[in-house]
Order: sequence, then C-alpha cells, then structure tokens
Amino acid sequence: MKLTKYLFAAALAGAALSFTSCDSSKKESKGALGGNLAERSFVAPGEHDEFYAFVSGGFSGQLSVYGLPSGRLFKVIPVFSVDGEKAYGFNEETKAMLNTSYGFVPWGDSHHPDISQTDGVLDGRWVFINENNTPRIARISLETFETVEIIEIPNTAGNHSSAYVTDNTEYVIAGTRFSVPVPQRDMPINEYKGNFKGALSFLKVDPESGEMDLSFQIMMPGFDYDKAHPGRGKSHGWFFYTTYNTEEAHTLLEVNASQNDKDFIAAINWKKIEEYVANGGGKMMPAKYAHNIYSDETHTATSTMKTEVLTVEPKDVPGAIYFLPTPKSPHGCDVDPSGEYIVGSGKLSANVTVHSFTKMLDAIENEKFAGEAYGIPILNFEDVLAGTVVQPGLGPLHTEFDGKGNAYTTFFISSEVVKWKLGTWEVIDRKPTYYSVGHLMIPGGNSRKPFGKYLVAMNKITKDRYLPTGPEVTQSAQLYDITGDKMELLLDFPTVGEPHYAAGIPADLVAPNSKKYFKLEDNKHPYATLNEKDVKVVRDGNTVHVYMTMIRSHFAPDNIEGIQEGDKVYFHVTNLEQDYDVPHGISMIGANTSELLIMPGQTETFVWNANNQGVWPFYCTDFCSALHQEMQGYVRVSPKGSDVPLKWSLDDE
Amino acid sequence: MKKSKIIMMLGAFLLLSLFVFPLWNITLEAPQYPEPLGMDIWINKIADHNPNDIKNINLMNHYVGMKEIPIHMPEFDIFPIVIGAMSLLGIIIGFIGKKGLYITWFVVMSILGSAGMYDFYAWEYEYGHNLNPKAAIKFMDKNGDPLAYQPPLIGNKTILNFKAKSWPMAGAYLMFIGMGLSVVAFIVDKKEDNS
Amino acid sequence: MKTTIYSLFVAGALIIFSACTSSETQEGGTESSNVTTDNTPLGQASVVDSESDPNILQVAIGSPDHTTLVAAVQAAHIEHILVNAGPLTVFAPTNAAFDKLPEGTVETLLKPENVGDLTKILTRHAAPGSYNIEALKKEVRKGRNKLYMATDDYFEITVEGDDVYVNGAKVLASIQTSNGIVNVVDEVLLPKE
Repeated sequence: MKLTKYLFAAALAGAALSFTSCDSSKKESKGALGGNLAERSFVAPGEHDEFYAFVSGGFSGQLSVYGLPSGRLFKVIPVFSVDGEKAYGFNEETKAMLNTSYGFVPWGDSHHPDISQTDGVLDGRWVFINENNTPRIARISLETFETVEIIEIPNTAGNHSSAYVTDNTEYVIAGTRFSVPVPQRDMPINEYKGNFKGALSFLKVDPESGEMDLSFQIMMPGFDYDKAHPGRGKSHGWFFYTTYNTEEAHTLLEVNASQNDKDFIAAINWKKIEEYVANGGGKMMPAKYAHNIYSDETHTATSTMKTEVLTVEPKDVPGAIYFLPTPKSPHGCDVDPSGEYIVGSGKLSANVTVHSFTKMLDAIENEKFAGEAYGIPILNFEDVLAGTVVQPGLGPLHTEFDGKGNAYTTFFISSEVVKWKLGTWEVIDRKPTYYSVGHLMIPGGNSRKPFGKYLVAMNKITKDRYLPTGPEVTQSAQLYDITGDKMELLLDFPTVGEPHYAAGIPADLVAPNSKKYFKLEDNKHPYATLNEKDVKVVRDGNTVHVYMTMIRSHFAPDNIEGIQEGDKVYFHVTNLEQDYDVPHGISMIGANTSELLIMPGQTETFVWNANNQGVWPFYCTDFCSALHQEMQGYVRVSPKGSDVPLKWSLDDE
Repeated sequence: MKKSKIIMMLGAFLLLSLFVFPLWNITLEAPQYPEPLGMDIWINKIADHNPNDIKNINLMNHYVGMKEIPIHMPEFDIFPIVIGAMSLLGIIIGFIGKKGLYITWFVVMSILGSAGMYDFYAWEYEYGHNLNPKAAIKFMDKNGDPLAYQPPLIGNKTILNFKAKSWPMAGAYLMFIGMGLSVVAFIVDKKEDNS
Repeated sequence: MKTTIYSLFVAGALIIFSACTSSETQEGGTESSNVTTDNTPLGQASVVDSESDPNILQVAIGSPDHTTLVAAVQAAHIEHILVNAGPLTVFAPTNAAFDKLPEGTVETLLKPENVGDLTKILTRHAAPGSYNIEALKKEVRKGRNKLYMATDDYFEITVEGDDVYVNGAKVLASIQTSNGIVNVVDEVLLPKE
C-alpha cells in the first residue's frame, strides 16, 4: 500500500516534465488557427462594432459594455458597487441608490443582465440585472448608460433566478436561491424542511417610464430556485424556474442536495396569478424593502422604504403552478425562440433534458400527474419530455439559440460549447472553451428573435491564456462565429470581474438613442447653478453651501474665503458645457470621498470638511481642454470665529 | 394684368422669405467635431445651426481671445425694416407697372445688398482681428504678426485646425431670385411695349 | 532501491514521450472533423503548471500502474475533463484491472471507431464530488450508498470490514489531487447487468 503511494509521488516529477515537453506541439498547432480569423474580429480604427454586449461583472457588482466582434471595453457601468471613478455611491446624489433595508450597502454581486423586449424582440430601452447577495434588481437606461433604478426584493435570499423579462417587458422577475423562514424569525436550522419558503417575485414594469413595482410574490416550497426563463411566443404567459435541493437539505448540500434522481422545473402561469391578484387575491404581509430611483432631471436619487408586499400561496390558485420532473439538479432553464421547448440542464447529469410546452399543456389537461409536492401537481416526466440530447458532454449549464433551429449548450466539466439541433436532438458540433465555461450569450439568443452571428462563451477559469498577473489572473470571454455549420473561435478578450452572463444587441437598436449631454434648461437639481453670474456661497450655521460652475477652463468661483475650521462644506458643482464629451471633474485635498465626474449639464455634490486652517486647492480631475492644468482654485480656511468675511470670486471680480 | 407686373410683384414678394429662412451660414469643421459647429445668420438674429453651437464656438474661440458672438446687433433692428419696406415698395411699383421703376428698384436693392455685405465683412474683420490681449493662446502668422481668425466672406478657408465655410442660405438665394425677377420684369415689359 | 526509482523515472519519461506523439496525430486527425473526436486541442489539459499541486490527470499520467488507463483517456480525448476545476472523484482501474477484462477488449476499445464506447466507459468512472475512502464509508453509514456517476448511472458502495467496494471493485487507495480524488480500484467499473 505504502509502496503504491510512494510510486505515485516519484512519478509526479515525470508528469511535470511531460507537460513542458508537450508545450511545443501545442504552440505549433495554434498557428493553424491563423487564417483570416483576426480579420473577422477586427474593427478598424474609427469604425464601430456591430453589437453591444452588456457583460455582468459578477462579484464586481457592475455591468461592463463591450463591442462585438472586437471585444473592446467601452464602459463599466456602476450598478451595485460604489465606483470612485464616477462618484457612484460617493457623491450626495447617488448614495441613495445603494440604500437597502439593511442600510447603505457598498457592494453587490451582479448576475444576469436582460434587455427589455417588445413582442419578444429586443427593444434596446433598458437593461435589467439582478443582485444575488442583498436581493435587488436594477434597471439601467440605454440612453444614459447609467443605473436609474434599484428595487430590493423582500423575503428572498440569494436572488439568483432573476432578472428576466417577459415578451413585452410586462414583468421582470426575481427568485430566491436560498429558501428562508418567511417572515424571518429565530428557529432551529434543522427544522428547515417544510418550514422554509422560496419566494418568486413578479415586478411590473411601467411601459413608458420603465419603473418597477413589486406586484406579488408566490410563496413556493423551500427548494433552491436556480434559474428562470419566461415563456416565449406560444408559451407567453408562463414562467419556468429550475429548482435544486428538492431534498430540502440544510447542510452539506454538495452531497445532500444531490440525492434525488430528479428535481423540478416549476412552470408558473403568471397570467392566471395576475388575474387572481387583480380580483383581490393574495395576502398583504409586512415587509421592508427599499426602492431607489434616479432622476435625470434632478440628477439625484431618492430612496423610499416600502412596508408591505402582496403574497400568493400556490394552493390558493389551483391550475397555475406545476412541477416538471427534470434530472439531477437542473441549472440552466432556457426556452427556445418558438416557446415550445424548455431546456433543463441537469448540471450533474450527462444528458440535456428538453420538455415540450404542448405536451405540458396536454398533460395538465389530462391530469397526467405523478404525484404532488406541497399541493403542487407533479407532471409525469415521460408525458412532458420532448427529447434528450444524449451524452453531449459533462456538466451542462446554459443554452441559447440562433433562431435557425439550433441550440448551443455550455458544459462546465468538459469545458466546451456543444451545438445541437432542436427536434432531432443530434449533436452537430462541439468546441472547447478556455476554460470551464459558465454562461454563453448569443445577441437576442434568449428572445424570440436571436441575431445568430456570434456566440460569447464566458469562462470561469483562464489559467495560462493571458500574461500572468500574480495569483489573480484575468477573467475572460471568448467569441465564436456561429454562422457556419461549425463554430469557429475568433477571439479571447479579458473581462472586468467575473463575466457571469451577458446580453447582446445590434448596435443600431441602441446607439442612435445614446444621450450626448444633459440640457441645462432641464436641470432641476435643487442646488444647480445654471449661469456663471449666479454662483454664490451660503453659510447656514456650520454648514456652507458652495454653488459652483465649471466650463472650459475655469471654476466659478475659484477663490473662496471665509470658511472656518469645523465647517462642513458642500460643493454643488454644475458643468455648464453643452457639448458632447466635455465632462469636467473636481476633487479637493483632504476630501474623504471620491472625485466628481460631471457630465455637461449635470450637477453633482461632494462634501469637504474644513478640518484645518490654511489655503487648500481644488482642481479639475478630467483632462478637459487645452487649459485643463489651469483649471484650479483655492479655499481659505480661517480659525473658528475669525472675522474674515465669506467671499467668493473669479478673476478677482 | 400685364405679365411684367406680376413678375415684378412676385420678385418683390420673394424678399419676404428672408423672414422665414436664414440668409447666411458659417460652419466650422474640425476632427474633434464630427458634427460641425455652425451658426445661421438671419436678418434679425444669429442662431445655432444645431443646439448650443454658438456657445461651443464661443468656448473654443475664447482661448485665442475672440469676443463672443453677439446676441444682438443694431443691424438686427434695421434689416427687417429695410427688407419689409423694399418688399412693399416693389409690390407697389409692380402695381404701378412702370419699367423704369423696376430697374430703379433693382439698383436700390443692389446698393443696399452691397452695403449689407460690407457691413457683414466689417463685422467679420472685427470679430477675427480684435482679440483680447490677455488671451491664453496667441498664434503668429509668418510675418510675426498676431494671427487673425476672420472667417471668409464667401467660400472656404482653413484657420488652424478648423475649416471655416461661409455660404449663402435659402433666404439669400430667394432674395437673389427676387432681385433677378425685377430685371426679368423690366425686359418682359420692354417686349410687351414693342409688340 | 535507487535503481528502481531510476528505472521508474525512465519509464515515466517514455510514457510521456508517447503521450506527445499521440497528441500530435490527434491534431492531424481533427481536419476530418468527426464530431465525437473533435475534442482537440486539449483545452485546459494543455496548461503548463509544474508548481501547483498535481491534478487528477497529472497524477494518473505519473502512475506506472495506470498506463492503460492513461492511454485510454488519451485515445478518448477526454484529458480536459480530468483537469477541470471539479471536484471530481475518479475511480482509476490499475493495469492489472484492465488485464482482467476478456482478451482483446482493451485493444478493441482503443480503436478510433470505438471512441464513443470508450468515452462512455471511462466517464462512468467519474463521480461529481470529493469521495475518498473515508467519505465513501460515511456515505454508507448515512444510508446514501448509491453513488451517482457522471454518466447518470448509480454504483453501489459497500463496506466489508475496513475495505470499501464500488460496484464490486475494491478501492485500493485514495489519492488527494488538486481537483478531486483518485480512488485506485482493482477492477474496471462496468454496469452490472
């Protein structure tokens, strides 16, 4: 026995050797990939990309904007995490965006972006994205590319099966990954089974403003609700959620939640529940959750604490919810563009299971039930099954569609993307990913109208794919051309944070609406200064408000005197420019906050505590113009009670 | 009514289009302005070609010490009265129907027009040459004199990294057509007399 | 003793050499683009890393008792599965275990046309999760004596005295690797009829 172990150890050195010696052959084979691949992802200087890709930052909490096919990064939109570059969560205007029932939370875990749709087709108005840790959904405007709304989801923990939109953006949904006691209370953990609840939330989206409102929560059994997908086309009106831990284990889930041969996809007829609620159904329960809205007119966010939520018990709406048995802890839950096929990827299964919507309706009508769970009918597996993709790879996770009858599924364990045919379930092609792919994205690939030209694989591991940067190496996405029978790897590109999931859209549906600047005449910020003549400094006890403007290349005022030690000084700074791409920044020595980066026509505020006597400079932080270096000023701080009068000036006038 | 009378009245009437369309346009093109900056000159105002263009021209120009483009000039009070009066006069002349008056009207319009162009040139000269001595950036020409930033009266001209374009707009073209019609009326009237 | 180690090392180097040549021929074969063999290039298996703890594949390649298994893994082009983040539990039959199979079985499976069957047989030796001998004993103790394998099969775990058996094959040793567990077994795991 000992000898065996010894032999293993002795031979390990040899293993290391083997990999060095194999390396050269690998490098050579890469050369064959050359061809015109570089050309096909190359976007010449000054040219624009064909698609936008909105890539979730995962644990960075943000959303990055890339161009496809170039993979060039354009912007990191701060969503759930503070961002010193853009003053998000640091300036007085945006702090409220990160307010929650737990107070100010500076970080989030962003997961699944989804673009608003009309009639099942991307309309390019908003991106919705969920936050997993402090359950929230954010809405990002595709005019300003800024986060304009964040709503917290109560009775939820690990908001993972979120934030997907229905065909006409009637609803964006949330779902709890971790079931919890509802309402929260002190109880033994091992009494989980039968007592914890899994809330699935439906948020109504205002068709004009996009504003979200938590309409109702369905109180499901205490499973883990993993991923979700709305019905499309013929299945519009339904929502599908994958579940795992139908064992209702509360510990060592890697073993205990992998016991059941089949878990469920929950099929929810939301139109039926909507009707039930409209007729007065459901029960209001107390709940505390924040709803934060940013206004482009006041350039300020407001946070409102909500106090109750409407809950629906499945048993009260018979015929609205069914369980579709699906093998082995299904993760991805994806519906094809026609709405007929519901793909459940059992992440521990060797096969990909596909259910039929038509068969599901038939099974419901003819009551082909295999049993029930907590009063919810379980449909017969065989009676809803459309087909199985047999042994396509190991560890299936997510599926998207090209609109030409093909599906593309990622396999984490075997680290590949597999293309297969809907209806015949035959495998057409497979390509390795580098390495261990999670989600994939085809622009529009989860909607009724995919734009099936490119596929982006988002990998969990990169190891040696890029120049090393210490133990933490870059995250990565990979671009495949999917126009031919075989997929072709075109490009690797690094991403910010973990590229958890992404949403892509043709650029011409978004770019023409992109805002160039904010109109000064529309600026309703309570501390805005719309004209250089109107700048002022106002004292209110120990608080001083500076009404400041900035325009190429000076601040007004740029000399301020009469500030006293211990004063709290608010700088309300308005950018008077009315031209594209002329932001100005401001920061000041001793400020315990970030810079401000102010867009033309916008007003932002930072606080500066006058802790020490002296003369303290401030300056423009964004290289704005030829005389950017001259864009600076001074604040004089005098002792408390000093008779230096409050005075402000520009060019001594 | 005689054809020449109608042509004369129509020509005079066309002057009124100056109240509907701008007279002239100056556009500044540069690589950093994918959408060029432009100002439209009317008989009663200078206006943005696209929103905020004048503000942005002023912002650019203040670095070299140029004055802001005036929101109001005395000409803006005078021009509408002159144009209105000349149009009315032309219509009356047409009504009277004497060909000598037609050509007189044309000559007076030509003199007024030339005066207007001279006035425009003088303003451009002043705008391009009268620079703030405290300007942040000073450029010299080949002779070591301060560089002038005067836009062309008509045509294109390169000023530093800008290409300045100065061309008539619809109002001016319609005015020219109106003036031309008064000459046509004179000729037609002559032919009518002969026949 | 010294000579033994030396000869082992040489043997290891030889295996490695053959591994390289075979991978080259695979790449040539890719052109024909047969769906099931189109797993090359090797993906994560091509990562060069001699510093980190060895992964399942590296351990297997390094073991002179598993040359048949390694050859089979390479013939099936599933190296990248054994280097995945895991965690995976791989039941690794020894050369002796392969020898117990009926005469000619291994040779037949190694033929390119049988790569599908070979892949399935090998994949059946992997289970998601980390189960060393002690963990397998715990599973039995807790009544969870059906182990779910990557091919959707369930294998029964039994304990006799100090020994653990999976589907009748005896687990000889458990080796901790960077991405899971290698359990050395004395038989090839085939579904029980």
